[in-house]
Amino acid sequence: MPTEITLRLQINGEQVRRIIPANRSLLDFIREDLRLTGSKHGCDVGDCGACTVLVDGAPQLACITLAAECEGAAIRTIEGVTDGGGLHPIQEALHRHVGAQCGYCTPGIVMAMTSLLEADPHPSDSAINEALGSNICRCTGYTKILAAVREVARPGSPS
Amino acid sequence: MLPFPKFSYEAPGTLDELFTLASVSGSRIVAGGTDLLPSLKHRLFQDTLLISLRRLRELRGVTIEGGALVIGANTTLRDVARDDRVAAGWPALRDACRTIATSTIQAMGTLGGNVMLDTRCLYYNQPDGWRASIGGCLKADGSVCHVAPNGAGCYAAHSADTVPALWLYGAILRFGSERGIREVALADLYGTDGRTWLGNARDEVLLAIVVPKAPAGSVVHRKLRARGAIDYGMLLTAVHRRPDGSGAAVVSALGPRPVFVEAERVEDLAAAAHKAATPMRTHAYGVGWRKHMVRVEVERALAGS
Ligand SMILES: Cc1cc2nc3c(=O)[nH]c(=O)nc-3n(C[C@H](O)[C@H](O)[C@H](O)COP(=O)(O)OP(=O)(O)OC[C@H]3O[C@@H](n4cnc5c(N)ncnc54)[C@H](O)[C@@H]3O)c2cc1C
Ligand code: SF4
Ligand code: FES
Ligand code: FES
Repeated sequence: MPTEITLRLQINGEQVRRIIPANRSLLDFIREDLRLTGSKHGCDVGDCGACTVLVDGAPQLACITLAAECEGAAIRTIEGVTDGGGLHPIQEALHRHVGAQCGYCTPGIVMAMTSLLEADPHPSDSAINEALGSNICRCTGYTKILAAVREVARPGSPS
Repeated sequence: MLPFPKFSYEAPGTLDELFTLASVSGSRIVAGGTDLLPSLKHRLFQDTLLISLRRLRELRGVTIEGGALVIGANTTLRDVARDDRVAAGWPALRDACRTIATSTIQAMGTLGGNVMLDTRCLYYNQPDGWRASIGGCLKADGSVCHVAPNGAGCYAAHSADTVPALWLYGAILRFGSERGIREVALADLYGTDGRTWLGNARDEVLLAIVVPKAPAGSVVHRKLRARGAIDYGMLLTAVHRRPDGSGAAVVSALGPRPVFVEAERVEDLAAAAHKAATPMRTHAYGVGWRKHMVRVEVERALAGS
């Protein structure tokens, strides 16, 4: 039975092929093998959302995903949230509202909110709350993050 | 950083290959991995081969067969919850999928993984160093139960949100192995010891959850938890208010096997559930309060039915 596998996947639009141990988590693959360190190690067991990346558009916790399970998938990390390297509207809004303090939760939150807004550009407050429930932030108290996401979801409306 | 233990990995492309691999000792199925993979990081299992379901399209998706809902075991909770037919015909199942963990975890975890979810306990779902400091427990690496030191076994709590509603909808589980296909009522799957609570054979893979046409009356799901997201339930409740004035309830998170009660008059259901429920010290919340809340949760569920 194989303890090493050949993994082929797309990461932020780029095709990669690596031989990896079968027990490599997607998070360790992204951070250690690809040196994309934007996705964070928080709890490492699925509780906090700091490691959230998009796998074929859906949010996933990279710490409890086997890299092997992502064969053939298209993965987006915080490094690829915009094409050109500029800021995503969510990032700009978080910046304006001071929705990041220590910043450790921020990459995961940006990815989770990106996935939400790509599926529905104008989510209701309850849909935003539900999606943000996937991510723990120990600093901000969430209100500034919510204000930022609401502003992107419904430009011009009071937040 | 919590590394995974060493294991090998296979992703079979056919059911025959799947059944052959599932008969290998030390193997375990990985569906969404949201229960299994944290537990492997905590060294709760010693499996040496993980078998992925990802290539088996036939295990994914929702179909209707003769009025029954047939849900492939590897269908994500999100896909079940978003299915219009589920919402229209079996709304308590949709509601139960949507109280699990978080929306991100619902996009990863599967209905099959939920039905097969490990039992949970304050003294068990902990990192290995934490558990070593109390000498482990009966369910893993030890010889005493810290919940009931004079008890007869393990009382770890059944904690799968969808199971009470699936139970009241009369769900049937379709298992497959090298020996063929076998169907079991979900209500008959679960046993009373938290170490051996699943009644299927080790090599039987759950293929589908078959939910018959919903019974007359209404079924309602409720979950009692500390926060509106992430947390497992302190109590999981589903009730069925029947048109003839009777009722049934399944209450879970009490022990390895969910508790089923019926009452000829639905008004008596909450008292019957309260009497039958014996919360254990498997959670960080007082057992007296949780017992009280059994009555309250059944009443609340009925009020919503
Ligand atoms: C932070 C967090 C919070 C959570 N909160 C909840 C909660 O509130 N309520 C809740 O119910 N769950 C909760 N979960 C657990 C989990 O997300 C769900 O129960 C999910 O449905 C499990 O499905 P899975 O596909 O991820 O299972 P996996 O982890 O892949 O598998 C779980 C178990 O079932 C077995 N298995 C899976 N599929 C099959 C199959 N087809 N045949 C035979 N065996 C199989 C596996 O071998 C394993 O033993 C939580 C998880 C996390 C990380
Ligand atoms: S109920 Fe007892 S044996 Fe079972 S997991 Fe908890 S402490 Fe361990
Ligand atoms: S680091 Fe993955 S959920 Fe916390
Ligand atoms: S900004 Fe510090 S955890 Fe969110």
